[in-house]
Amino acid sequence: MPDTRLRRSAGVLLAAFFALPLAVLVVRAFADSWRAPALVPQHFGLRGIREAFSGIALDAFANSLVVAVIVTAIAVAVGWPAARVLGERRLRRPGAVFVVLAMPLLVPSYATGNGLTEWLLRLNLADSITGLVLAHLVLVLPYVIVVLLSAFGPRVTVLEDMARSLGLTPLQRWRWVTLPAVAPTLAAATFLGFLVSWSEYGSSLAVGGGRELLPVILLPFVRSDPQIASALALLFLAPAIAALGLAARAARSPL
Amino acid sequence: MSAALECVDVAASPGGALVLRGVGFSIPAGGRSVLVGPSGAGKTTLLRAIAGLQALDAGDILLGGRSLRGVAPHRRRVAVVFQEPRLLAHLDVVDNVALALRAAGVGRAKRRARARERLEQVGLSAFVNRSVQGLSGGEQQRVALARALCAEPDLLLLDEPLAALDPNRREELRGLIVRLQAELGLTTLIVTHDRAEAAELGERVALMLEGRIVQHDEPRALFERPVSAAVARFFGVANLLRGDVRDGLLAFGGAHIAVPGADGPATLAIRPEHVTIDGDCLLRARVVESVYSGSFVKLVLDCAGQRLHAQVPPGDAPPAGAQTGVALPIAHLWRLPGAQDEQRVGTAPTG
Amino acid sequence: MDTRHPALAAPTTPGPAAAVVGRDAARARVRRQRRRDRVALAPALAIVVTVFGGALLGALHASVTPLSATASAGATLDSWRALFADPAFLDSIAFTVKLAVVTTLAATGCALAVALMLRSRGTALRALASLPVPVPHLLVAVTAVLWLAPGGLADRILGGLPLELVRDRYGIGIVLVYVYKETPFLVLLLLAAMGRGLAEREEAAAVLGASPAQRLRWVVWPTVRGPLVIGAIVVCAFVLGAFEVPLTVGPNYPLTLAEYASQATQNDVLTGESLAAAALLFTAVIAIALAVIAVRFAKDPQGA
Repeated sequence: MPDTRLRRSAGVLLAAFFALPLAVLVVRAFADSWRAPALVPQHFGLRGIREAFSGIALDAFANSLVVAVIVTAIAVAVGWPAARVLGERRLRRPGAVFVVLAMPLLVPSYATGNGLTEWLLRLNLADSITGLVLAHLVLVLPYVIVVLLSAFGPRVTVLEDMARSLGLTPLQRWRWVTLPAVAPTLAAATFLGFLVSWSEYGSSLAVGGGRELLPVILLPFVRSDPQIASALALLFLAPAIAALGLAARAARSPL
Repeated sequence: MSAALECVDVAASPGGALVLRGVGFSIPAGGRSVLVGPSGAGKTTLLRAIAGLQALDAGDILLGGRSLRGVAPHRRRVAVVFQEPRLLAHLDVVDNVALALRAAGVGRAKRRARARERLEQVGLSAFVNRSVQGLSGGEQQRVALARALCAEPDLLLLDEPLAALDPNRREELRGLIVRLQAELGLTTLIVTHDRAEAAELGERVALMLEGRIVQHDEPRALFERPVSAAVARFFGVANLLRGDVRDGLLAFGGAHIAVPGADGPATLAIRPEHVTIDGDCLLRARVVESVYSGSFVKLVLDCAGQRLHAQVPPGDAPPAGAQTGVALPIAHLWRLPGAQDEQRVGTAPTG
Repeated sequence: MDTRHPALAAPTTPGPAAAVVGRDAARARVRRQRRRDRVALAPALAIVVTVFGGALLGALHASVTPLSATASAGATLDSWRALFADPAFLDSIAFTVKLAVVTTLAATGCALAVALMLRSRGTALRALASLPVPVPHLLVAVTAVLWLAPGGLADRILGGLPLELVRDRYGIGIVLVYVYKETPFLVLLLLAAMGRGLAEREEAAAVLGASPAQRLRWVVWPTVRGPLVIGAIVVCAFVLGAFEVPLTVGPNYPLTLAEYASQATQNDVLTGESLAAAALLFTAVIAIALAVIAVRFAKDPQGA
């Protein structure tokens, strides 16, 4: 059937369009020297990788990871009850809540971070993980809530009522009925929240100070040393892909 | 103008699976036929194929003698009323009804006037400038009907138009459809899964089983003279008595029934409503089950090893376990022609 | 016996007194639920309001209290006056607005075309089309540099690029990166809007004689118009705050608003922070104004 051939070629084209550009990162990271106009690097080597795994970069990687994990955990913990209320449409005027949640997403994060430093200096929280967590949290929380709220609604409430009528305790209900029912959306929300914090630049630069995060130390290398930049970029990309794999598997496994 | 519909050996596979397996079927110009069958039989697929929304693997569909092969849905002069109203929420009622005229390039004032006429025909003149959002299911379905009529098609298709309505509205809409169709003389095909509805809606009824038309006849013929055991079962002819005819007689439970046709194996069909309880009859049976259903009693009888279903007035019903006589009036006995389930039998249209 | 217990003497249908008790109990239940809902929402809203609100207040405070020698006088609009007197800032506004408008138009157009192509396709193609969504903007920008910069891969393959795409005066590289990232987001938005019953309504219009072009105009467009406009406003507001992308692929002049602010903090220690805060607050206010417009539009799509 001509339709499947068209579909397959469209798929291949789309995949190439998205995967090919990222492939150059891999090549560049391992190219010790790649002078124009060669299409293939002159020398392959591990200089970029060695620099990338040196002290500063690994510190930045660790900082980014710690902040992202803390922020995601708080966002899910705080966002779950809010998402429940919004998803089950129990509010008389949900519009106001959505506007409040949407504001931090539309305002440049550099502005939010910049304004926050005033307070962080006073509270002696400058250069701390706490400051970064706060700055990221205000960005991640709305994303997590908006994604998670789609999981809740009559479908889940009906299942919980059924569980209650069968005599399950609240904890059992939560573990065996609610959690599996919302698991795929929860995975997506967690994944998205982690990514937003991990990728965040503007407020990381404004608030970071001494504690540099990965994207912040990456950027200057783009002009000064593309090989190190590419290696760092691969490092930057890796957890996103890992998180995607984990989320896909979690969404499919029965609890 | 209304045209005759003819389907010739139509085969189609929506979603990869073969659903229509050589459908042969025709409606004369101005006729009203109902396509009935269990879910999954292919009724909606055939309707979509006629409308141009489903591609054919083989066969052809002719409207007014012209083949519809390769003709895009918006060029066939076929209008459809779907199971859901499918109205456009951003337009008011009149603009929804006038959609076909707008597509044909008719000016705004003229098309709205014609749409208003159609709304009056379906009894919704008060709803002209309303938004479609606040309308009930029945009202929306009538708007959809007005919209289809406004397109002035050669053929009107209705896919389970009464399915989503409550019983009162169903009755109203049924009457409206039959009346309008007769007034306008529009060739119409209605799809339903309900056999009673089929009898009430159609001049002729076609039963589709597993992608083929098995019998296309006046309603009474399908209910009382089914062409095969499958047709009999669908139309509620619950009694199929099998036996051997010798010298024109079928021996059954101690009695002999005169049966027309050749000697040999035969299947006799009789509707439960026509089986009567008569203590004096030679044919004896034991009441296995007796269920009171309000206006009648449903009996399951064991008669010479075969199951008989009867439907009798409550006063005539013997209790469960009783032995009684059973009468099978000759006038209501029907011998199934042949042993195959796929024979096509149709009498000439009465109209 | 008259001394029967009221419960025993009660008829099978509850009398008026029982009905009042039932109604009060129901109302109390609703009140309890409402209280529980408020408690559930409180932490999330509190975090957003205090942190974000605090950030805006902090920016406001910094913008009116520069660290210059005469700062002891209290709040002053000196920074704001200096900001709007700076031709670089005005150029920055023009540049950023142009970037936002061009990106929004391009992304909207692409997204509409892609969504129309994908609306009858399966989930596999849709999943592929949404691949850029998890990739960070910075990563796309870095890749853009490797490919599109002078001396980059595209330059070497084609033997020379017809125009400058990276660090050029017009910010074409910036637009390309944002269009690449925001188009899939808009496509997902559009596909979600199209999903509910759109195909069925198109079929209904088709059998009534509407050609494919007419179906697009009369059935598809009215359905996607609302979400598309909101999505466009969101993209516009987002690009107005462009920061790391122009830092990577953008020119050294003009700068986007966020870049300008960052530059200001490095120039003059005394007034820099205040200038930056003012510039960022200015950008934030525009973004908030766009958000309000989007919400208004969502409530009344016919008005806009």
